[in-house]
Amino acid sequence: MDNNTDINYYREVKQVLNEGLVVFVRSIIAFFSLLIFTRIIGKEQISQLTFFDYVLGITIGSIAASLTTDLSSRAWPHWVGLITWAVLGYLMEIVTLKWRYASKVLEGEPVIVIMNGKIMEKALKKAKYRISDILELMRNQGVFDPNEVDFAIIESNGQLSILKKAEHLPVTRKDMNIPVQNPGISTELVYDGMLIEENLRQLNKDKAWLMNELKAHGINDISEVFLVTLNPEGSIYIDKYDDHITKITDIGDYKGPF
Amino acid sequence: MRRLLVIAIPLVTIILFLAVMLSGNFLKQPLGKDDDIPGLIETLIKDIQDEQWDKVNQKAEELNNAWGKVVNRIQFSAERNEINNLSVALARFKGAILEKDRTSAIMELKEAYEHWNQLCQ
Repeated sequence: MDNNTDINYYREVKQVLNEGLVVFVRSIIAFFSLLIFTRIIGKEQISQLTFFDYVLGITIGSIAASLTTDLSSRAWPHWVGLITWAVLGYLMEIVTLKWRYASKVLEGEPVIVIMNGKIMEKALKKAKYRISDILELMRNQGVFDPNEVDFAIIESNGQLSILKKAEHLPVTRKDMNIPVQNPGISTELVYDGMLIEENLRQLNKDKAWLMNELKAHGINDISEVFLVTLNPEGSIYIDKYDDHITKITDIGDYKGPF
Repeated sequence: MRRLLVIAIPLVTIILFLAVMLSGNFLKQPLGKDDDIPGLIETLIKDIQDEQWDKVNQKAEELNNAWGKVVNRIQFSAERNEINNLSVALARFKGAILEKDRTSAIMELKEAYEHWNQLCQ
């Protein structure tokens, strides 16, 4: 065997290795594993995350990232790390759900920082909040004067809940003895030109009734409308594809590409 | 039926992923006639000790082809480090047999064998 062929053989071995392809396959593994695990672990909204949930998310994401691109080690150990963190996260969720005591220890509990209009300095210190933080959180909720606040509570997700003093609460219809009817939630009857018969049945209406309503608005066919909703009170909202608006208000304040 | 799919699709996906990730240990084993890496290394060591250089050259070629085949099918489950190290050991082995250097050749083969052992472990 001469020297040339020798080098070529080595090159042949190198050629079949395709790092891009391996990363592609690993990405698919990481992506869908992550999707499945997160669907199992969490229904909580981002705004309800505790600090630990937040760290958990970052860690799992970072493991998935190294599973994708760290080719120096096998995918398997990364995946074991991923599933272990996911399972532990899931177990913690079960424990805190079933065992109130543990949830208090693991997720913390709401802390009252203003009680009867008085700032609780000790509670504030324990929760590691400055009073300027509390004032800022209050302003976020439209409360600029601490005088208005009866109770303020730091929830376990770090957000502030405020109960205003009675004299600062808005007048409600009940206070004024105005008779009210609950509007209920509107239901879609037509979506993108398609009739949703299930919802129509749910509201004890039929297609003939809907067509009558549409005719009253000058519409002859369901395909002409983009959206129709109806609330239990009987108020109907109709939006056609053809909007007949010639001058559309542009809220852009600077000339851009569109 | 819908409920079954909701459970079955993720389950099948996970099983498929596990198969891809764990297949390396099985796929590195000889599956055909010409991809028996530990066997070839063993015969090569014997041939080198007997100083049968013609045979050694031929077997080295076979070993290279075998490794090319194995690498192709284990690349999704194996660690790149071991793959590279084994390739490098084989390259150095070629240098050793070019100079008919018994000691180095056997050393490199033993190293290659160790990397093969560690592969997918």
